[in-house]
Amino acid sequence: MSGYWLAIDTATEIASVAVGRRAGAGPVQSETGAHAQGARRHASEIVRLVDFALAGLGIRPADLSGIVLGDGPGSFTGLRIGWAAAKGLAQEAGLDLVAVPSLMAAAAGAAVKLGPVPIAACFDALRGQVYGAIYVVHPGRVQTLVAPAVLTVPELVRAAPLRPQLVVGDGAMLYADAVRAWSGAAPVPLAALPPAASVLLSLFTREGAARVITDPVTAEPVYGRLAEAQVKWEARHGRPLPDPSRPRG
Amino acid sequence: MAEVLLGIETSCDETSAAVLVGERGRPELASLVILSQDVHKVFGGVVPELASRAHLATLPAVVERALDEAGVSWGAVDAVAVTAGPGLVGALLVGVVYAKALAYAGDRALIGVHHMEGHVFAPAVEDPELAPPFVALLVSGGHTLLLDVPAWGRYRLLGQTRDDAAGEAFDKVATLLGLGYPGGPPIERLAVQGDPARFSFPRPLLEDGFEFSFSGLKTAVLRAVRASTDLERDRPHLARAFQDAVLDVLVTKLERAVRLTGHHTAVLGGGVACSRALATLASQRLAGLARVAVASPRLNADNAAMIARAGWWRLEQGERSDWTLDARADLPLPGLEPAPATPHSALRTPHSP
Repeated sequence: MSGYWLAIDTATEIASVAVGRRAGAGPVQSETGAHAQGARRHASEIVRLVDFALAGLGIRPADLSGIVLGDGPGSFTGLRIGWAAAKGLAQEAGLDLVAVPSLMAAAAGAAVKLGPVPIAACFDALRGQVYGAIYVVHPGRVQTLVAPAVLTVPELVRAAPLRPQLVVGDGAMLYADAVRAWSGAAPVPLAALPPAASVLLSLFTREGAARVITDPVTAEPVYGRLAEAQVKWEARHGRPLPDPSRPRG
Repeated sequence: MAEVLLGIETSCDETSAAVLVGERGRPELASLVILSQDVHKVFGGVVPELASRAHLATLPAVVERALDEAGVSWGAVDAVAVTAGPGLVGALLVGVVYAKALAYAGDRALIGVHHMEGHVFAPAVEDPELAPPFVALLVSGGHTLLLDVPAWGRYRLLGQTRDDAAGEAFDKVATLLGLGYPGGPPIERLAVQGDPARFSFPRPLLEDGFEFSFSGLKTAVLRAVRASTDLERDRPHLARAFQDAVLDVLVTKLERAVRLTGHHTAVLGGGVACSRALATLASQRLAGLARVAVASPRLNADNAAMIARAGWWRLEQGERSDWTLDARADLPLPGLEPAPATPHSALRTPHSP
């Protein structure tokens, strides 16, 4: 086994992959990567991006130690593209899968320069809401101040125990005035941050960062929201939809 | 050419995988696993987001089971065929991206398959002697297509629906009658008890051409349901009259196509072809004209065996998809040629004495 880990993030408009391995006792360092802008390109590009990154190191998927996935929340379809790719790459070789919140990757991207200070990340969740979270990224661990949730920016402000020094993400750009009034700084778009996949590699071994996936075959990302039809059905019937993601056959 | 091919189908609400094993031109079905997503039944139709989520959560296990049942190891799989469209794009994407990753990881050939071409190939999974030329009537919840198939991979569109697909009409009428989803099986079961003379519904576009239209028929059933003073009593008769009308239109046009082309085989495919009543009526009307080829119900519903069979043929032709293969909700049928000019007299079926 080469010790290499592949990271994939497709939760936002930018699909990114990165490959790296641990140097000594430190975190995994990205050695190569690739990304594509535009949600409509994710499906057509994702395997090419992986191929580009692996080929640059002269390795095949079976040589990997495991795959780190952006866990969401984010674009439903985008997340499924990254996860379907990871499941297909991992299944035959039985590779380990771990997942790190995509919002944490965005915040940690900003923390590369800012250090261990509160940083909020917001992705557009439509309907006037964002997927929002607040983190402090330390060298060996990640402190979650507000866990990923679907809320409005004012709701995120009320939930925050500390004022963030910076707010990043496309959701932050969408509500720039409110974000600037809150943090005192202009929001930072995703395109100005390091690609999420390379950050995932540096994060997943830190305490408090990763979700270990015990059953890669059936695993799903954290969508952040139920399907709208499910929400309406459950509101109308006053009970959960019977086993929506585990169909009987 | 591949000797072991894995097929994957996720275009709607069935998560399916199949393994074909064999020599060139003679693949045999080694396994077929179909996982039906029951969750949609409470909605009376498919919820695309729920379908996509369920595909991601179940597809790898469905594939593992297909390999197990076939007695095939991962290392033996030479190629992967996957439905690339048409269908629900979010559902298709799960299958397409997963299939690409499987193919890439194992250095396997990859081929994207058109879902309706899969239905054309479905009877060939069980009947290796089946070969064009033939007429294909493909009827499902999303499509109603009448094709002249002069050779594998070549299609002339004779007709299609102008509005609702035949299977869609079954689903909507089943809802009107208070039956379950999908609508075909409960309507067929109930129709057996119905009196064919109690109600009569229009046969849209019956007399002319190859086009279909089912929305007016659905409206006629709606009016009859509203006019009924005892729906419990009338339900079987309404089901019978509706089914008779749809099948009469389908088979009349199929017969017309057989007479026009002179082909001696007619293929029925798609979910509606699971109807025994359709196969029976087609066999009766085409007796002496053409043999009716219809696959078993498992192969007429959405399934990966038909995708694998169509993919096998495409791989034999030397075709391959590359890593940029994408899902398309409106994927055009490959090899579709303009229909030949048809003499007007051929567009009308002589009435039986």
